[in-house]
Order: sequence, then structure tokens, then C-alpha cells
Amino acid sequence: MEFTIRAANVDDCKDIARMITELAEYEKAIDQVRITQRDLEQDGFSKNPFFHGIIAEVPEPHKTKEGHAKVGYALYYFSYCSYRGRAVFMEDLYVMPEFRGKGIGKALMSKVAQLGLAAGCQQLNFTVLDWNKSSLDFYLNQGCTDTTAEMGYHYMCCKGEALEHLAHGQL
Amino acid sequence: MDYKIRAARKEDCKDIARMIMELAVFEKMPDQVKISYKELERDGFCQNPFFECLIAEVSDAHRSKCGHTVVGYALYFYTYSTWKGRTVYLEDLYVMPEFRGNGIGKSLMSKVAKIAAEKQCVRLQLSVLDWNSPARDFYAAKGAQDLTDSEGWHFIRFDGLSLDNLVKEAPQD
Repeated sequence: MEFTIRAANVDDCKDIARMITELAEYEKAIDQVRITQRDLEQDGFSKNPFFHGIIAEVPEPHKTKEGHAKVGYALYYFSYCSYRGRAVFMEDLYVMPEFRGKGIGKALMSKVAQLGLAAGCQQLNFTVLDWNKSSLDFYLNQGCTDTTAEMGYHYMCCKGEALEHLAHGQL
Repeated sequence: MDYKIRAARKEDCKDIARMIMELAVFEKMPDQVKISYKELERDGFCQNPFFECLIAEVSDAHRSKCGHTVVGYALYFYTYSTWKGRTVYLEDLYVMPEFRGNGIGKSLMSKVAKIAAEKQCVRLQLSVLDWNSPARDFYAAKGAQDLTDSEGWHFIRFDGLSLDNLVKEAPQD
């Protein structure tokens, strides 16, 4: 299936908010979501953004039943490791269920890795819930290291060769 | 003991790098430190800095045995929770051993919380090694919630009342 990966803009916030809610429902934590579309607009698209986003979009013939063309997103920000320097943290990675299995998640993740490398980052970090086996397998298959075994979340780090491969796997 | 908490300046990076290494030695991973004061200068004092840093400084009269007046630091950056919104992540909090017990660590942490509140951050997060009991006790005493039980690291969050209380303890400018 054809799809494009592009930088998010302020007009995408409605769809990002929709997909954040879908992801929270999947993570069984819908009551924890407090932010709104307006928060995303202010926090991601002002002079000093708190995050950056990328969107996966499908063409007209592949829109969902409800008419959505924006079917996935990744939200990330730059962080810092006082031992190793610049890092990128991928806060969310989500693809709508009916669009999975088509490489969209991997493309989004690769793009984040690429953008991170371009900005001089040495690590791509993120977290995943330990019962979320399909996500865990997806990430481990990319060569990531599970650096933390936890009650609920795993702290993940992609670096070195695994990161290079991820970035170069970009479509 | 009198001390001052202030924003780090570019000239502080050598001291910050020194203290990062001291912390790494304590955390039993000195071989993991790959950056020097030059990366700190480049990454913390550019147009879009990757981090911010606070310094704890004592007067000449209280210099360390090795002659340092910069005796502690807190390195942090802004992050984002797609559930809660703006957050701040405290990457490092360190006070040289000979200066502990004087409230410097608490002041550094509170100042970070205050700065975070001014930016409408709703969480202060950090991580701590599970064998680091003094640090775990320090954070627990401030109402931190241990969200993660792991083989080495714990993810910690301040929010609501515990965060408000921390802000109230920030030293006056």
C-alpha cells in the first residue's frame, strides 16, 4: 500500500489528538489523557516546541471508512544523556490497526532515527509496556536493546549499528 | 553553609564535565562517559539547547579540598507526555560528597521544579539505579512515585501535590 511520511504541521493536530486517544485506549489508559488538540498546537508548533511529529498519510483510495487519510504518527523530542550526549526520544509510535503490517510503523521509526542522526544524536530511546508483546517483538526485531526490565514499562535504546541500520532502512 | 544556585554559564562546562565523571564513577560506569566539556558547551549553549543546567556554588572560603567552588549541578531538559503535556526530565542531580547534608541537592531539585512550573510543566521525571538507596530515599521523601521496578533503573515522576510542595521549597532568587 502506498503511503507517505512527512513532518507534521499545525493542521495535523486534530488527527494527532484522535490517534493519541486511540493509542491510549489500546494501552488501557484512556482516562489518563489530559491534553487536547489546542495543547498540541501550542506545544508543538510554537517558537520553542516541546516535541516534533511525523505523520503517515495514505492516498484517497485508501482512506478509512470514516474518511481518515492520516493513519499513523510518531512524536519525538531531543533529549540529552550526560554520558553520551545528544539523544532522541520517541514518545509515541502508532499506526491505526487496519493499516498495520504494511511497513508504516517501521518507516515512521526509521524516519525518527534518521532525523535524530541528522541532528547529531547518539541514541534513540523509548518505552514500551511489558504486556505489549507485539510492540516489544517489533522493536526487538530492529536490533534494539532492552536496557530495563520493569513492572510495566521497558526503557528502550537504539544506538550504534542498530541505529544506523534503522536510519538507512528509511523508505 | 552558604551556597548559591544559579543557571550554568558556558564557562562552567569544565566543572560540569568533572562532576559528570564523578557521578559516573559513583554509578560504576565511568567507561560509559563519551562526551567532554566541549560537547556540553556546544549542546547546552547554542541557539536551541539540548539541555539546561543549574549550578551550586560556594564561596572561596568553603572551597573543596581540591579547590573547587562549583560543588553540585542539576542537568535537565523539557520533554512531552502525549497524555499529560509538558514535562521536565531531570537527567542528573549531583552534589560532591563533602558538600552533602547541607540542603544543596534539595535546593537544586526544587529550583528545577520551579523553573518547570513557570513553563507549565505538569511532571518532573527522572530515573534512579535500584541499588542507590540514599538517592531512592531522597526522592521518596519528596513524594516521588516509583513508576517502574526494574533490574537497574527506576522511572520517577513528580506531579500534583508533591510537585507543588517541591516548588514551594525552591530557594529565593
